[in-house]
Amino acid sequence: MSPRLPGKLLQLSSSLWDTQLTVPRVSMRNFGIKSLNTPKPSRFNIGPGLPVLESTSTAALRRKANSLPLRTGVIATKKGMTAIFDPETGKRTPCTVLQMDRVEVVSHKTRQKHGYYAVQIGSGWKHPSNVTKSLLGHFSANGLSPKRHVFEFRVKDESGLLPVGQNVSASWFQEGQFVDARSNTKGKGFAGVMKRHGFHGQDRSHGVSLTHRSMGSAGPSQGGGSRVYPGKKMAGNMGNNQNTVQNLKIMKVDAEAGIVVVSGAVSGPKGCNVRIQDAIKKPWPEVAPAESAATA
Amino acid sequence: MAALPTMRPLGCLRTLFRAQDAFQPQMSRRFISTAYSKRPERVPLPPNLPQQFLSQLPVRMQPQNASKPVKVYPAPPSTSKACKDPVAKITESQLAVLDPKGERKALFDYRRNTRSVKPGDIVRVTFKNGDPFNGVVLSIKLRGIDTSFLVRNELTRVGVEMSIKVFSPNVQSVEIVQRAERKPRRARLYYMRSRKHDRRSVENLVASYVRQKRAFLGGKRQQ
Repeated sequence: MSPRLPGKLLQLSSSLWDTQLTVPRVSMRNFGIKSLNTPKPSRFNIGPGLPVLESTSTAALRRKANSLPLRTGVIATKKGMTAIFDPETGKRTPCTVLQMDRVEVVSHKTRQKHGYYAVQIGSGWKHPSNVTKSLLGHFSANGLSPKRHVFEFRVKDESGLLPVGQNVSASWFQEGQFVDARSNTKGKGFAGVMKRHGFHGQDRSHGVSLTHRSMGSAGPSQGGGSRVYPGKKMAGNMGNNQNTVQNLKIMKVDAEAGIVVVSGAVSGPKGCNVRIQDAIKKPWPEVAPAESAATA
Repeated sequence: MAALPTMRPLGCLRTLFRAQDAFQPQMSRRFISTAYSKRPERVPLPPNLPQQFLSQLPVRMQPQNASKPVKVYPAPPSTSKACKDPVAKITESQLAVLDPKGERKALFDYRRNTRSVKPGDIVRVTFKNGDPFNGVVLSIKLRGIDTSFLVRNELTRVGVEMSIKVFSPNVQSVEIVQRAERKPRRARLYYMRSRKHDRRSVENLVASYVRQKRAFLGGKRQQ
Protein backbone atom coordinates (compact mmCIF):
# COMPACT_ATOMS: atom_id res chain seq x y z
CA MET A 1 0.00 0.00 0.00
CA SER A 2 1.56 3.27 -1.12
CA PRO A 3 1.77 6.10 1.36
CA ARG A 4 -0.99 8.58 0.95
CA LEU A 5 -0.10 12.15 0.20
CA PRO A 6 -2.30 15.15 0.69
CA GLY A 7 -3.64 16.71 -2.55
CA LYS A 8 -1.46 19.79 -2.34
CA LEU A 9 1.75 17.89 -2.00
CA LEU A 10 0.89 15.65 -4.93
CA GLN A 11 0.50 18.65 -7.15
CA LEU A 12 3.82 20.09 -5.99
CA SER A 13 5.72 16.89 -6.73
CA SER A 14 4.29 16.64 -10.24
CA SER A 15 5.33 20.20 -11.00
CA LEU A 16 8.88 19.40 -9.82
CA TRP A 17 9.04 16.45 -12.22
CA ASP A 18 8.01 18.66 -15.12
CA THR A 19 10.77 21.18 -14.43
CA GLN A 20 13.40 18.39 -14.41
CA LEU A 21 12.35 17.18 -17.80
CA THR A 22 12.76 20.60 -19.38
CA VAL A 23 16.44 20.93 -18.31
CA PRO A 24 18.70 19.92 -21.29
CA ARG A 25 20.82 16.83 -20.57
CA VAL A 26 24.66 16.74 -20.95
CA SER A 27 25.64 13.59 -22.80
CA MET A 28 29.46 13.80 -22.38
CA ARG A 29 31.11 15.04 -19.25
CA ASN A 30 33.63 17.70 -20.17
CA PHE A 31 34.91 18.63 -16.74
CA GLY A 32 36.91 16.96 -13.96
CA ILE A 33 39.38 14.08 -14.42
CA LYS A 34 39.31 12.46 -17.84
CA SER A 35 41.11 9.46 -19.26
CA LEU A 36 43.88 10.22 -21.73
CA ASN A 37 43.31 6.99 -23.61
CA THR A 38 40.61 6.66 -26.16
CA PRO A 39 37.92 4.17 -25.19
CA LYS A 40 38.84 0.63 -26.26
CA PRO A 41 36.65 -1.28 -28.63
CA SER A 42 34.91 -4.29 -27.19
CA ARG A 43 37.00 -7.42 -26.85
CA PHE A 44 34.02 -9.46 -27.87
CA ASN A 45 32.87 -10.17 -31.36
CA ILE A 46 29.69 -8.13 -31.05
CA GLY A 47 28.20 -5.74 -33.53
CA PRO A 48 26.18 -5.38 -36.66
CA GLY A 49 27.48 -6.69 -39.97
CA LEU A 50 29.41 -9.66 -38.54
CA PRO A 51 29.13 -12.97 -40.40
CA VAL A 52 26.84 -15.48 -38.82
CA LEU A 53 28.78 -18.32 -37.17
CA GLU A 54 28.01 -21.66 -38.69
CA SER A 55 27.88 -24.90 -36.80
CA THR A 56 28.23 -27.17 -39.79
CA SER A 57 31.08 -29.61 -40.22
CA THR A 58 32.16 -27.73 -43.35
CA ALA A 59 32.51 -24.56 -41.32
CA ALA A 60 34.44 -26.44 -38.66
CA LEU A 61 36.87 -27.74 -41.28
CA ARG A 62 37.21 -24.26 -42.76
CA ARG A 63 38.08 -22.83 -39.36
CA LYS A 64 40.67 -25.55 -38.84
CA ALA A 65 42.18 -25.24 -42.32
CA ASN A 66 44.99 -22.91 -41.29
CA SER A 67 46.17 -25.07 -38.42
CA LEU A 68 46.13 -28.43 -40.22
CA PRO A 69 49.40 -29.57 -41.83
CA LEU A 70 49.48 -30.20 -45.56
CA ARG A 71 51.54 -33.36 -45.23
CA THR A 72 51.22 -36.41 -43.06
CA GLY A 73 53.47 -37.07 -40.08
CA VAL A 74 55.34 -40.23 -39.13
CA ILE A 75 55.75 -42.55 -36.16
CA ALA A 76 59.24 -42.75 -34.70
CA THR A 77 60.88 -44.26 -31.63
CA LYS A 78 62.88 -42.19 -29.17
CA LYS A 79 66.38 -43.65 -29.01
CA GLY A 80 68.15 -41.22 -26.71
CA MET A 81 69.76 -37.83 -26.52
CA THR A 82 73.10 -36.53 -27.74
CA ALA A 83 74.53 -33.24 -28.98
CA ILE A 84 75.55 -31.84 -32.34
CA PHE A 85 78.41 -29.37 -32.71
CA ASP A 86 78.40 -26.88 -35.54
CA PRO A 87 81.98 -27.04 -36.89
CA GLU A 88 81.88 -23.41 -38.07
CA THR A 89 80.39 -21.60 -35.11
CA GLY A 90 81.29 -24.16 -32.48
CA LYS A 91 77.75 -24.05 -31.14
CA ARG A 92 76.56 -27.12 -29.33
CA THR A 93 72.92 -28.11 -29.75
CA PRO A 94 71.43 -30.80 -27.55
CA CYS A 95 69.22 -33.05 -29.63
CA THR A 96 67.09 -36.19 -29.55
CA VAL A 97 67.68 -39.15 -31.84
CA LEU A 98 64.51 -40.69 -33.28
CA GLN A 99 64.31 -43.76 -35.48
CA MET A 100 61.62 -44.68 -37.97
CA ASP A 101 61.03 -48.35 -38.66
CA ARG A 102 58.98 -49.58 -41.63
CA VAL A 103 56.62 -46.63 -41.61
CA GLU A 104 53.86 -47.22 -44.15
CA VAL A 105 50.51 -45.74 -45.06
CA VAL A 106 47.80 -48.10 -43.83
CA SER A 107 44.62 -46.31 -44.93
CA HIS A 108 42.89 -42.97 -45.36
CA LYS A 109 40.16 -41.06 -43.59
CA THR A 110 38.21 -38.95 -46.03
CA ARG A 111 35.78 -36.09 -45.75
CA GLN A 112 33.11 -38.02 -47.66
CA LYS A 113 33.24 -41.13 -45.51
CA HIS A 114 34.61 -40.07 -42.11
CA GLY A 115 34.11 -36.30 -42.03
CA TYR A 116 37.78 -35.29 -42.11
CA TYR A 117 40.99 -35.98 -43.97
CA ALA A 118 43.65 -38.03 -42.25
CA VAL A 119 46.34 -40.54 -43.10
CA GLN A 120 46.55 -43.70 -41.03
CA ILE A 121 50.19 -44.63 -40.59
CA GLY A 122 51.61 -47.85 -39.21
CA SER A 123 55.11 -48.68 -38.07
CA GLY A 124 57.15 -51.67 -36.96
CA TRP A 125 56.01 -55.26 -37.30
CA LYS A 126 53.89 -57.50 -35.14
CA HIS A 127 53.63 -61.25 -35.33
CA PRO A 128 50.38 -62.17 -37.09
CA SER A 129 49.43 -64.54 -34.29
CA ASN A 130 49.36 -61.59 -31.88
CA VAL A 131 47.08 -59.48 -34.06
CA THR A 132 43.31 -59.73 -33.83
CA LYS A 133 41.68 -61.08 -36.93
CA SER A 134 39.79 -57.89 -37.66
CA LEU A 135 42.97 -55.82 -37.57
CA LEU A 136 44.84 -58.45 -39.56
CA GLY A 137 42.16 -58.23 -42.22
CA HIS A 138 42.51 -54.43 -42.23
CA PHE A 139 46.24 -54.70 -42.93
CA SER A 140 45.87 -57.51 -45.46
CA ALA A 141 43.14 -55.73 -47.38
CA ASN A 142 45.60 -52.89 -47.94
CA GLY A 143 48.44 -55.27 -48.81
CA LEU A 144 50.52 -54.60 -45.70
CA SER A 145 52.26 -56.69 -43.12
CA PRO A 146 50.79 -56.42 -39.58
CA LYS A 147 51.95 -53.20 -37.92
CA ARG A 148 52.87 -52.78 -34.27
CA HIS A 149 51.83 -49.14 -33.97
CA VAL A 150 49.04 -47.41 -35.85
CA PHE A 151 48.28 -43.70 -35.62
CA GLU A 152 46.32 -41.13 -37.59
CA PHE A 153 47.72 -37.85 -38.84
CA ARG A 154 45.24 -35.20 -39.91
CA VAL A 155 45.93 -33.33 -43.12
CA LYS A 156 44.23 -30.33 -44.64
CA ASP A 157 42.79 -31.85 -47.80
CA GLU A 158 42.96 -34.83 -50.13
CA SER A 159 46.21 -33.62 -51.69
CA GLY A 160 47.92 -34.67 -48.45
CA LEU A 161 46.72 -38.26 -48.68
CA LEU A 162 49.66 -40.45 -49.64
CA PRO A 163 48.82 -43.63 -51.56
CA VAL A 164 48.00 -46.59 -49.34
CA GLY A 165 50.91 -48.98 -48.89
CA GLN A 166 53.54 -46.34 -49.55
CA ASN A 167 56.66 -46.51 -47.44
CA VAL A 168 57.60 -43.23 -45.74
CA SER A 169 61.32 -42.92 -45.11
CA ALA A 170 63.24 -40.46 -42.98
CA SER A 171 63.88 -38.31 -46.05
CA TRP A 172 60.26 -37.23 -45.68
CA PHE A 173 61.74 -34.46 -43.52
CA GLN A 174 64.32 -31.96 -44.67
CA GLU A 175 67.23 -30.77 -42.57
CA GLY A 176 66.45 -27.36 -41.16
CA GLN A 177 62.67 -27.65 -41.19
CA PHE A 178 60.60 -27.54 -37.99
CA VAL A 179 58.38 -30.26 -36.58
CA ASP A 180 56.05 -30.84 -33.65
CA ALA A 181 56.80 -33.97 -31.61
CA ARG A 182 53.92 -35.63 -29.80
CA SER A 183 54.50 -38.36 -27.24
CA ASN A 184 53.49 -39.60 -23.82
CA THR A 185 55.40 -38.22 -20.85
CA LYS A 186 57.19 -40.43 -18.35
CA GLY A 187 54.76 -41.96 -15.87
CA LYS A 188 55.29 -40.90 -12.28
CA GLY A 189 52.68 -43.12 -10.65
CA PHE A 190 50.43 -41.87 -7.87
CA ALA A 191 52.00 -38.55 -6.92
CA GLY A 192 51.22 -36.14 -4.09
CA VAL A 193 50.09 -32.55 -4.60
CA MET A 194 53.56 -31.09 -4.05
CA LYS A 195 55.05 -33.09 -6.90
CA ARG A 196 51.97 -33.11 -9.14
CA HIS A 197 50.79 -29.52 -8.86
CA GLY A 198 53.66 -27.72 -7.14
CA PHE A 199 51.76 -27.00 -3.93
CA HIS A 200 53.90 -25.65 -1.11
CA GLY A 201 52.96 -28.27 1.42
CA GLN A 202 52.77 -27.41 5.07
CA ASP A 203 55.17 -26.31 7.79
CA ARG A 204 57.95 -28.50 9.10
CA SER A 205 56.97 -27.55 12.64
CA HIS A 206 54.61 -25.06 14.35
CA GLY A 207 52.43 -27.89 15.55
CA VAL A 208 52.07 -29.64 12.20
CA SER A 209 52.22 -33.37 12.62
CA LEU A 210 52.25 -36.06 9.94
CA THR A 211 50.89 -33.75 7.20
CA HIS A 212 53.97 -31.95 5.93
CA ARG A 213 53.47 -32.75 2.25
CA SER A 214 49.70 -32.91 2.01
CA MET A 215 47.32 -30.28 0.69
CA GLY A 216 45.48 -28.04 3.14
CA SER A 217 41.77 -27.48 2.91
CA ALA A 218 40.06 -28.89 -0.17
CA GLY A 219 37.15 -26.47 -0.36
CA PRO A 220 35.73 -23.18 0.89
CA SER A 221 33.40 -22.85 3.86
CA GLN A 222 29.71 -22.13 3.93
CA GLY A 223 29.93 -18.93 1.88
CA GLY A 224 31.56 -20.82 -0.96
CA GLY A 225 28.91 -23.46 -1.12
CA SER A 226 30.35 -25.92 1.41
CA ARG A 227 31.56 -28.21 -1.30
CA VAL A 228 34.67 -29.11 -3.26
CA TYR A 229 34.56 -27.59 -6.72
CA PRO A 230 35.04 -29.84 -9.75
CA GLY A 231 38.58 -29.90 -11.06
CA LYS A 232 40.14 -29.38 -7.63
CA LYS A 233 43.84 -30.20 -7.81
CA MET A 234 44.52 -33.22 -5.68
CA ALA A 235 46.96 -36.11 -5.44
CA GLY A 236 46.66 -38.69 -8.17
CA ASN A 237 48.25 -40.37 -11.13
CA MET A 238 50.91 -38.20 -12.71
CA GLY A 239 52.60 -38.41 -16.08
CA ASN A 240 52.06 -40.83 -18.94
CA ASN A 241 49.81 -38.36 -20.70
CA GLN A 242 50.30 -36.93 -24.16
CA ASN A 243 52.50 -33.91 -24.58
CA THR A 244 53.38 -31.97 -27.71
CA VAL A 245 56.72 -30.22 -28.02
CA GLN A 246 56.46 -27.62 -30.76
CA ASN A 247 58.96 -26.20 -33.22
CA LEU A 248 61.82 -28.68 -33.01
CA LYS A 249 64.37 -28.24 -35.74
CA ILE A 250 65.42 -31.21 -37.84
CA MET A 251 69.18 -31.38 -37.39
CA LYS A 252 70.04 -34.50 -39.33
CA VAL A 253 68.31 -37.11 -41.47
CA ASP A 254 69.60 -40.55 -42.40
CA ALA A 255 67.22 -42.41 -44.69
CA GLU A 256 69.10 -45.75 -44.74
CA ALA A 257 69.08 -46.09 -40.96
CA GLY A 258 65.73 -44.29 -40.57
CA ILE A 259 67.28 -41.74 -38.23
CA VAL A 260 65.76 -38.32 -37.64
CA VAL A 261 67.64 -36.04 -35.23
CA VAL A 262 65.61 -33.17 -33.78
CA SER A 263 66.90 -30.33 -31.64
CA GLY A 264 65.98 -30.26 -27.99
CA ALA A 265 64.13 -32.72 -25.82
CA VAL A 266 61.10 -34.87 -26.54
CA SER A 267 58.75 -36.12 -23.81
CA GLY A 268 58.86 -39.71 -22.68
CA PRO A 269 61.36 -42.44 -21.89
CA LYS A 270 63.75 -44.03 -24.37
CA GLY A 271 61.92 -46.42 -26.64
CA CYS A 272 58.62 -44.56 -26.55
CA ASN A 273 56.56 -43.70 -29.60
CA VAL A 274 56.97 -40.20 -30.94
CA ARG A 275 54.71 -38.79 -33.64
CA ILE A 276 56.39 -36.06 -35.63
CA GLN A 277 54.63 -33.81 -38.12
CA ASP A 278 55.36 -30.46 -39.78
CA ALA A 279 55.22 -27.66 -37.21
CA ILE A 280 51.93 -25.76 -37.38
CA LYS A 281 53.49 -22.53 -36.11
CA LYS A 282 56.13 -22.31 -38.84
CA PRO A 283 55.77 -21.94 -42.61
CA TRP A 284 55.13 -25.28 -44.28
CA PRO A 285 58.30 -26.84 -45.71
CA GLU A 286 58.74 -26.31 -49.43
CA VAL A 287 58.41 -29.68 -51.06
CA ALA A 288 57.82 -30.20 -54.74
CA PRO A 289 54.55 -32.11 -55.21
CA ALA A 290 56.26 -34.66 -57.47
CA GLU A 291 59.01 -35.17 -54.92
CA SER A 292 56.64 -35.63 -52.01
CA ALA A 293 55.02 -38.53 -53.82
CA ALA A 294 58.27 -39.98 -55.12
CA THR A 295 60.34 -39.88 -51.93
CA ALA A 296 60.26 -42.93 -49.96
CA MET B 1 27.53 -111.05 24.69
CA ALA B 2 30.90 -111.99 25.95
CA ALA B 3 33.90 -112.29 23.72
CA LEU B 4 36.46 -114.93 24.28
CA PRO B 5 39.65 -113.70 25.91
CA THR B 6 41.71 -115.10 22.98
CA MET B 7 39.72 -112.91 20.52
CA ARG B 8 40.42 -109.70 22.38
CA PRO B 9 43.73 -108.71 20.66
CA LEU B 10 42.05 -109.14 17.31
CA GLY B 11 39.10 -107.10 18.47
CA CYS B 12 41.11 -103.89 18.10
CA LEU B 13 41.17 -104.42 14.34
CA ARG B 14 37.42 -104.21 14.26
CA THR B 15 37.49 -100.41 14.47
CA LEU B 16 39.82 -100.35 11.50
CA PHE B 17 37.39 -102.36 9.38
CA ARG B 18 34.58 -100.14 10.51
CA ALA B 19 36.45 -97.03 9.42
CA GLN B 20 37.04 -98.50 6.00
CA ASP B 21 33.36 -99.34 5.70
CA ALA B 22 32.48 -95.78 6.60
CA PHE B 23 34.82 -94.09 4.10
CA GLN B 24 34.70 -96.34 1.10
CA PRO B 25 31.22 -95.55 -0.16
CA GLN B 26 31.94 -91.81 0.01
CA MET B 27 35.22 -92.13 -1.89
CA SER B 28 33.72 -94.24 -4.58
CA ARG B 29 30.82 -91.84 -4.96
CA ARG B 30 33.27 -89.01 -5.60
CA PHE B 31 35.17 -90.90 -8.21
CA ILE B 32 32.02 -91.63 -10.11
CA SER B 33 31.03 -87.99 -10.30
CA THR B 34 34.40 -86.87 -11.74
CA ALA B 35 34.86 -89.80 -14.05
CA TYR B 36 36.35 -88.87 -17.40
CA SER B 37 34.07 -89.29 -20.31
CA LYS B 38 35.24 -88.71 -23.80
CA ARG B 39 33.85 -85.72 -25.62
CA PRO B 40 31.53 -86.86 -28.36
CA GLU B 41 32.98 -86.50 -31.81
CA ARG B 42 31.54 -83.72 -33.85
CA VAL B 43 29.38 -85.19 -36.56
CA PRO B 44 30.68 -83.88 -39.85
CA LEU B 45 28.31 -82.48 -42.39
CA PRO B 46 27.45 -85.01 -45.01
CA PRO B 47 29.45 -84.33 -48.14
CA ASN B 48 27.63 -83.20 -51.24
CA LEU B 49 24.72 -81.83 -49.27
CA PRO B 50 22.00 -80.87 -51.72
CA GLN B 51 21.56 -77.13 -52.29
CA GLN B 52 18.01 -77.03 -50.97
CA PHE B 53 19.08 -78.23 -47.51
CA LEU B 54 21.77 -75.61 -46.99
CA SER B 55 19.30 -73.00 -45.81
CA GLN B 56 18.38 -75.26 -42.89
CA LEU B 57 21.90 -75.06 -41.50
CA PRO B 58 22.86 -72.36 -39.00
CA VAL B 59 24.13 -69.25 -40.78
CA ARG B 60 27.70 -69.68 -39.60
CA MET B 61 27.84 -73.23 -40.95
CA GLN B 62 26.65 -72.36 -44.41
CA PRO B 63 29.48 -72.78 -46.90
CA GLN B 64 29.39 -69.19 -48.18
CA ASN B 65 29.98 -67.96 -44.61
CA ALA B 66 32.96 -70.18 -43.92
CA SER B 67 35.95 -68.23 -42.60
CA LYS B 68 38.43 -67.46 -45.31
CA PRO B 69 42.11 -67.54 -44.39
CA VAL B 70 43.60 -64.03 -44.16
CA LYS B 71 46.55 -63.49 -46.42
CA VAL B 72 49.47 -62.19 -44.38
CA TYR B 73 51.99 -60.11 -46.28
CA PRO B 74 55.69 -60.30 -45.42
CA ALA B 75 57.28 -57.35 -43.63
CA PRO B 76 59.58 -55.01 -45.55
CA PRO B 77 63.26 -54.80 -44.49
CA SER B 78 63.66 -53.15 -41.12
CA THR B 79 65.70 -50.00 -40.63
CA SER B 80 65.96 -50.49 -36.87
CA LYS B 81 67.54 -53.89 -37.42
CA ALA B 82 69.96 -52.36 -39.92
CA CYS B 83 71.03 -49.79 -37.35
CA LYS B 84 70.77 -51.05 -33.78
CA ASP B 85 72.32 -48.04 -32.08
CA PRO B 86 71.39 -44.80 -33.85
CA VAL B 87 72.86 -42.60 -31.10
CA ALA B 88 76.27 -44.22 -31.58
CA LYS B 89 75.98 -43.75 -35.33
CA ILE B 90 75.27 -40.04 -34.93
CA THR B 91 78.20 -39.75 -32.50
CA GLU B 92 80.54 -41.46 -34.95
CA SER B 93 79.51 -39.23 -37.81
CA GLN B 94 80.18 -36.23 -35.56
CA LEU B 95 83.58 -37.51 -34.47
CA ALA B 96 84.58 -38.09 -38.09
CA VAL B 97 84.24 -34.36 -38.65
CA LEU B 98 85.36 -32.94 -35.31
CA ASP B 99 88.17 -35.37 -34.52
CA PRO B 100 89.13 -37.16 -37.75
CA LYS B 101 92.45 -38.57 -36.44
CA GLY B 102 91.10 -39.56 -33.05
CA GLU B 103 93.72 -37.46 -31.24
CA ARG B 104 91.33 -35.76 -28.86
CA LYS B 105 89.63 -39.02 -28.03
CA ALA B 106 92.99 -40.62 -27.21
CA LEU B 107 94.08 -37.60 -25.17
CA PHE B 108 91.21 -38.04 -22.73
CA ASP B 109 90.61 -41.79 -22.88
CA TYR B 110 92.26 -42.28 -19.48
CA ARG B 111 90.90 -45.80 -19.04
CA ARG B 112 92.80 -47.18 -22.06
CA ASN B 113 95.51 -44.71 -22.95
CA THR B 114 98.33 -44.38 -20.39
CA ARG B 115 99.60 -41.17 -21.98
CA SER B 116 96.28 -39.40 -21.73
CA VAL B 117 95.33 -36.53 -19.47
CA LYS B 118 94.44 -37.82 -16.00
CA PRO B 119 92.76 -36.25 -13.02
CA GLY B 120 95.32 -34.27 -11.03
CA ASP B 121 97.28 -33.11 -14.09
CA ILE B 122 97.80 -29.40 -14.71
CA VAL B 123 96.68 -28.45 -18.21
CA ARG B 124 96.61 -25.40 -20.40
CA VAL B 125 93.59 -25.13 -22.69
CA THR B 126 93.57 -22.64 -25.54
CA PHE B 127 90.42 -21.58 -27.31
CA LYS B 128 89.83 -20.30 -30.82
CA ASN B 129 88.33 -17.15 -29.43
CA GLY B 130 89.36 -15.87 -26.03
CA ASP B 131 92.02 -16.34 -23.40
CA PRO B 132 93.59 -19.67 -22.52
CA PHE B 133 92.46 -21.34 -19.32
CA ASN B 134 94.89 -23.16 -17.05
CA GLY B 135 94.23 -25.36 -14.09
CA VAL B 136 94.13 -28.72 -12.38
CA VAL B 137 91.96 -31.41 -13.93
CA LEU B 138 89.43 -32.49 -11.31
CA SER B 139 87.50 -35.03 -13.33
CA ILE B 140 87.05 -36.45 -16.81
CA LYS B 141 83.57 -37.41 -17.96
CA LEU B 142 83.65 -39.90 -20.83
CA ARG B 143 80.27 -39.48 -22.57
CA GLY B 144 80.88 -39.93 -26.30
CA ILE B 145 80.51 -36.64 -28.10
CA ASP B 146 79.79 -34.88 -24.79
CA THR B 147 83.06 -35.97 -23.21
CA SER B 148 84.24 -33.15 -20.97
CA PHE B 149 86.77 -32.38 -18.26
CA LEU B 150 86.62 -30.10 -15.29
CA VAL B 151 89.53 -27.69 -14.74
CA ARG B 152 90.07 -25.75 -11.52
CA ASN B 153 92.24 -22.69 -11.01
CA GLU B 154 92.33 -19.53 -8.95
CA LEU B 155 91.85 -16.16 -10.59
CA THR B 156 92.12 -12.98 -8.49
CA ARG B 157 92.17 -15.17 -5.37
CA VAL B 158 88.81 -16.68 -6.26
CA GLY B 159 88.50 -20.35 -7.04
CA VAL B 160 87.26 -20.85 -10.62
CA GLU B 161 86.18 -24.03 -12.35
CA MET B 162 85.47 -24.58 -15.99
CA SER B 163 83.88 -27.58 -17.62
CA ILE B 164 85.27 -27.96 -21.14
CA LYS B 165 83.83 -30.14 -23.89
CA VAL B 166 86.69 -32.09 -25.43
CA PHE B 167 85.27 -32.23 -28.96
CA SER B 168 84.05 -28.65 -29.08
CA PRO B 169 85.41 -26.86 -32.16
CA ASN B 170 86.06 -23.86 -29.91
CA VAL B 171 88.83 -25.75 -28.10
CA GLN B 172 92.03 -25.29 -30.02
CA SER B 173 94.50 -27.27 -27.97
CA VAL B 174 95.00 -28.94 -24.62
CA GLU B 175 98.59 -29.15 -23.31
CA ILE B 176 99.71 -31.10 -20.28
CA VAL B 177 101.87 -28.69 -18.24
CA GLN B 178 102.61 -30.99 -15.35
CA ARG B 179 101.61 -34.52 -14.51
CA ALA B 180 100.22 -35.39 -11.12
CA GLU B 181 103.10 -36.14 -8.72
CA ARG B 182 101.59 -39.44 -7.75
CA LYS B 183 98.54 -41.19 -8.95
CA PRO B 184 95.49 -39.91 -7.11
CA ARG B 185 93.40 -42.58 -5.43
CA ARG B 186 90.18 -41.15 -6.80
CA ALA B 187 88.80 -40.57 -10.27
CA ARG B 188 87.04 -37.36 -9.23
CA LEU B 189 89.18 -35.00 -7.17
CA TYR B 190 86.37 -32.93 -5.76
CA TYR B 191 88.15 -32.85 -2.41
CA MET B 192 90.46 -30.29 -3.99
CA ARG B 193 87.70 -27.74 -3.50
CA SER B 194 88.19 -27.92 0.25
CA ARG B 195 90.61 -25.37 1.68
CA LYS B 196 92.97 -28.01 2.97
CA HIS B 197 93.57 -29.67 -0.40
CA ASP B 198 93.15 -26.69 -2.72
CA ARG B 199 96.04 -26.29 -5.20
CA ARG B 200 95.35 -22.52 -5.36
CA SER B 201 96.67 -20.71 -8.41
CA VAL B 202 98.69 -22.62 -11.02
CA GLU B 203 99.43 -19.50 -13.07
CA ASN B 204 103.13 -19.39 -12.07
CA LEU B 205 103.69 -22.99 -13.08
CA VAL B 206 102.01 -22.47 -16.42
CA ALA B 207 103.87 -19.21 -17.05
CA SER B 208 107.23 -20.93 -16.55
CA TYR B 209 106.09 -23.75 -18.83
CA VAL B 210 105.18 -21.26 -21.55
CA ARG B 211 108.55 -19.51 -21.12
CA GLN B 212 110.43 -22.80 -21.45
CA LYS B 213 108.42 -23.78 -24.45
CA ARG B 214 109.09 -20.49 -26.15
CA ALA B 215 112.83 -20.85 -25.52
CA PHE B 216 112.74 -24.40 -26.86
CA LEU B 217 110.95 -23.38 -30.01
CA GLY B 218 113.53 -20.67 -30.69
CA GLY B 219 111.70 -17.55 -29.69
CA LYS B 220 108.76 -18.32 -31.92
CA ARG B 221 105.64 -16.90 -30.40
CA GLN B 222 103.23 -19.61 -29.56
CA GLN B 223 99.65 -19.23 -28.66
